[in-house]
Amino acid sequence: MRRGASILAAAALAVIASALSAAPKARGTGAGVYTEAQAGEGARVYAVRCAMCHGPGLAGTVETPGLVGKFMANWAGRPLGDLYDYLGRAMPQPSPGSLTAEDNARLVAFLLKANGVAAGTTALPADSAALRRLVLEPVRPR
Amino acid sequence: MAMPRAGLAAAPAAMPTPAAGMKPRLAPMRVSPDQLIDMKCCIRPLRAAGPNLGTEIVGDRLVVHNYGHGGSGWSLSWGSAEVAVGKALSVLPESIAVVGCGIVGLTSAVVAQRAGLKVTIYARELLPRTRSFRASGSYTPGSRIALVGPAGAQFPELWEQMARFSWKMFRTFLGLPGNPVEFCDSYNVSDKPIERRKWPPNPAIAGSWETAGLPQQNSEFAHLDERIRDIVPQPVDLAPEENPFDTPYAQRSSHMYFNFPAYGHMLLTEFFERGGRYVMRDFHSPAEFAGLPEKVVIHATGYAARDLWQDRTIIPVRGQTGWLVPQPEAHYSLRSNNMSLLSKADGVVVMNNNPDMGDMLGVGDSTELPNRAPIEEALAALAPLFAPLAVRGGRS
Repeated sequence: MRRGASILAAAALAVIASALSAAPKARGTGAGVYTEAQAGEGARVYAVRCAMCHGPGLAGTVETPGLVGKFMANWAGRPLGDLYDYLGRAMPQPSPGSLTAEDNARLVAFLLKANGVAAGTTALPADSAALRRLVLEPVRPR
Repeated sequence: MAMPRAGLAAAPAAMPTPAAGMKPRLAPMRVSPDQLIDMKCCIRPLRAAGPNLGTEIVGDRLVVHNYGHGGSGWSLSWGSAEVAVGKALSVLPESIAVVGCGIVGLTSAVVAQRAGLKVTIYARELLPRTRSFRASGSYTPGSRIALVGPAGAQFPELWEQMARFSWKMFRTFLGLPGNPVEFCDSYNVSDKPIERRKWPPNPAIAGSWETAGLPQQNSEFAHLDERIRDIVPQPVDLAPEENPFDTPYAQRSSHMYFNFPAYGHMLLTEFFERGGRYVMRDFHSPAEFAGLPEKVVIHATGYAARDLWQDRTIIPVRGQTGWLVPQPEAHYSLRSNNMSLLSKADGVVVMNNNPDMGDMLGVGDSTELPNRAPIEEALAALAPLFAPLAVRGGRS
């Protein structure tokens, strides 16, 4: 049974790999994937919708997760679409699903900036599928 | 490792807060010099800009600093470790090194383990043979933590974040075996009305840290405690019928403090039970960090960073404590004219801090030898205050 399960798993992996190779190549967030202006707008969204729980400095508390430091450990290496989708469906906790797509993208841009990811000249798209092709890369902390 | 039974036995009964109009029946402390069993002296690592929580690359190692906490190392340990470990985690390590094993290093190590990392501590000594163990051990997160100018406008918010985080973490240790963290009533008595001392700038003093390399007056120090007065109990004036010491003026507050033996034992036990490893090692230059097997290093050597990292913005601030025989039946603290007694599990802490010096007391003094005379002076000055307690009879 175990051998059979292993073969099935291998086959499934091959299918996934094939699907991935057909998809557009993922890019890293180090390539400048948001703009300073977008992150600035995100800061305003953050102040109104997020800071009451996560704190003005994004540090969190003993009870509420911080959005720097450990945050990167939890989200790095994954498609940015995961973060965008999560914020869109689960945050802000008192009224999940209430962020507009544009505000959500602004927030993601703000979080990238807060975690040391450099800005570029193109704004992050408010589009889950497009963000799935961007991978959050860890950045040396300051 | 089991917690020592002695710690359990020493836990004093909870003392009910007296109703208004009642004098609490306190056991008098025995404060004769023959009760003095220890003296400790240590240097607070005041860093002009506040604790260094920055990062740098040594070789290809990411070094995250966590040192320079002045007289607030214990009090800020959890919040500061949260910041440092967060930075370490952001480059996705599986294991890290921590250099230094005072309260800041050891707490950083445990916080990293709680985040799932493998941790090795490299240090010359483990707690309790570090400076941290020679502190007085109260929650004083604003004590000699920074100078206003060098710290800049952003620091108070970071300080508040660390102070609040730590406060909440300390609450998770209340009531554990050995009482690693405790509260007691704290009395401040006086012949004169009690007012919080303020330190406006003295224009007659021309120099400053920027020009002299040392602060020249109290107004240069950051005083941030007001930012957390919503969670830290503030002193209240006592009416004469509430004042157990019968002095013309008295205030009472509630005071959080740390019992070093139980706390150190608890933290070391957690570190080793989580698979932590200790390597005895003395570092002689930052370049040696590049030879460590771990790619990420949290640097928490406290005052030693002044030499090891050549951080000359660290200012030594000497402090000392006397320790009387433990007196768990007298579960309170008493202060008069900045001489004080605090009854802890491992003894009654005696301090004599010249009230006219404020934060300037000990600044620039790197002598780590205790001086018995000020401790005996405090004992002699405070002893008469217990006479009314003895007459009324204390709690047994």
